[in-house]
Amino acid sequence: MALTPEGAGRAGADTAGNEGNVDAGWLRVHPASPFVRGWVALAALLFFFGRDSFERLLQGDPVFDERLAGRAPWLLLGGGTLLLLTVLGYVLSWYFTRYQVAGGYVRVNTGFLFKQQRQARLDRVQAIDVIQPLLARIFGLAELRFEVADAGESAVRLAYLRADEARQLRATILARASGAADGTPSPEPGQRETAAEEAPEQVVLTVPPPRLVGSLLLSEQSVAIVAGGIASVLLSAVTENRNFAVFLIPAAIGLVASYWSSFNKGYNFTAAVSPDGIRLRYGLLDTQAQTVPPGRIQALKVSQPPLWRMFGWYRVQVNVAGYGLAASAGEGSARTTLLPVGSLADVLEILSLVLPDPGTQDPLGVFTAGITGLADAAGTPSSGDGQDTDGGFVTSPRRARFLAPLGWRRNGFTATETALLLRSGRWWRSFVVVPHQRTQSMALQQGPLARRFRVADLVLHTTAGPVAPRLIQAGLDEGRALLDAQSARARAARKRQKSEHWMEPAAKPAAPPADDPQEGPHHG
Amino acid sequence: MRTEAIDPPGIDWLRVSPKYVTVRLAGWALGNLIAVSLLSLPLVLVLTGVWTWPPVWLGVAIPAAWLLLALWRLLLIPRQVRSIGYAEREDDLLIRRGIFFQRTLVVPYGRMQYVDIAVGPVERPLGLCTLKLHTASATTNAEIPGLPASEGARLREQLSARGEARLAGL
Repeated sequence: MALTPEGAGRAGADTAGNEGNVDAGWLRVHPASPFVRGWVALAALLFFFGRDSFERLLQGDPVFDERLAGRAPWLLLGGGTLLLLTVLGYVLSWYFTRYQVAGGYVRVNTGFLFKQQRQARLDRVQAIDVIQPLLARIFGLAELRFEVADAGESAVRLAYLRADEARQLRATILARASGAADGTPSPEPGQRETAAEEAPEQVVLTVPPPRLVGSLLLSEQSVAIVAGGIASVLLSAVTENRNFAVFLIPAAIGLVASYWSSFNKGYNFTAAVSPDGIRLRYGLLDTQAQTVPPGRIQALKVSQPPLWRMFGWYRVQVNVAGYGLAASAGEGSARTTLLPVGSLADVLEILSLVLPDPGTQDPLGVFTAGITGLADAAGTPSSGDGQDTDGGFVTSPRRARFLAPLGWRRNGFTATETALLLRSGRWWRSFVVVPHQRTQSMALQQGPLARRFRVADLVLHTTAGPVAPRLIQAGLDEGRALLDAQSARARAARKRQKSEHWMEPAAKPAAPPADDPQEGPHHG
Repeated sequence: MRTEAIDPPGIDWLRVSPKYVTVRLAGWALGNLIAVSLLSLPLVLVLTGVWTWPPVWLGVAIPAAWLLLALWRLLLIPRQVRSIGYAEREDDLLIRRGIFFQRTLVVPYGRMQYVDIAVGPVERPLGLCTLKLHTASATTNAEIPGLPASEGARLREQLSARGEARLAGL
């Protein structure tokens, strides 16, 4: 409704009438924020103009080179002007950056030459992050990032606010988005201002630093490094060429940097649960606190590199619509990681947070089978669930064992009433959970080789992210049945999906049993 | 066919226009013309004496091999076009394609974010268009090429109407 600036103004005015001027006006971010954001430019400028003079001062020479002495005032003037312009730009950008949270929207206006007005509906929030880079942390500032579902292309960013202000605002937005705060929703947009208390949270698990270090040392990356190191040493020994060392130095620097960033991101990882959703907190120098509201997770993957099996460690990654692809360096991958390293118990804990209603009698058995299970050597009984010790997983038929000699007993699926579970990989174990109501579209695919063995792959399409759900080499009949059954399940799940406000008083959750029975037989 | 298709049973597939073969042929001709002329470049250079390295037989063999492959693909085009099909079911749209590498795609109407119709330079004189569905997932890639323009327009309206009726969040 209030899509235009006039509308925005009107909403603000309404509130002013009702509530006083608390949120009538637009608020500005902290005045120091452009400097915190653009300190690199300032530092570079100072360095560029100041270094020479400073060195001369140290050496006891005149501040300016004799040859330049005549031009010194001009140089000084030029540098000063540039500095002044930069600072002026910062001040202007601060002055013209304003935000408002009202009427079910968060709005941010930026820019003075090219104005940008960005607004997002509060109930469309996919995730909300409070980010504190080191410098911001020193000044007690924080950035608030509000993600909507657009594959990570843009987010509503507020940089920077005072840290407690940012947390307060996050609580306000979440309270508003969850529907917890509005007993009388839209008519009084100012209502929430008073009620916005941070939802209480309960720490569920933490990752101790030694485990983090261990997980980094045993990661795939380390294996590749050791292999590469051995190869280059051998190569240099064989060819009697010492030049390899020269190439190793930049490689080593890069590696240290990459390990450092993983460590920096994963340090002190804490997962907590609150009515607002899952809270993740992590970081050594730059800290970040993410809140993912319930039902925002599109797909989840539990994976285990081979070396982690010694300690029984797992990693959990998720697709969240707002986060997008983790392609953008370390930051993205940290944001989509729900658990950098954890034991099976931790993983099950996380699963219970993501899927509060697992939709099965024996969630523990099913999930454990999904994470570590293996079908018997005889293969899954083709139909009619007898006594299965494998959590109900239907694996590739025995005839596919020539296609996937190791994986065929592992590659499989099962469906609970709320989610489709896919597992794969004998060495690189992975286990994917896709809630039924999050399925976008599906495709059954088959190449010429797979056709000879009468198997097919089922690909589930989900929003961009690290998880790409794919059922590998299901039997043709099972695959076809699953395609049909899954469309039906997804449809039913969508119908009973609650509103976007996850805390709204009881949106009759008693409805589901009515359309459940028809899905039972489809179980694959 | 010797082998069994992966489609769910009991579906009446609507096929795309046979004229779409022309579009594919045009693309095939253009692509292979460029590829073959690029691949023959070493041969020309060797024959004119600018290069000495690739022996003449190699210079001939590479474009010839490519050409052979291209001819094989040319033979497949009509069958590939015939294999493209779509079916509107009550709650979702099915799209299938491929002979060697088959794919059957299910897009629920409620998941469609928007529908695109594109017309290319070869398609326009033939009165064809390409319809593309977008969901929240970038990997969906639901495309129906070679639709007659009127059918494309009908399908678009139909899909939009059904999508609106069944619209769900993410």
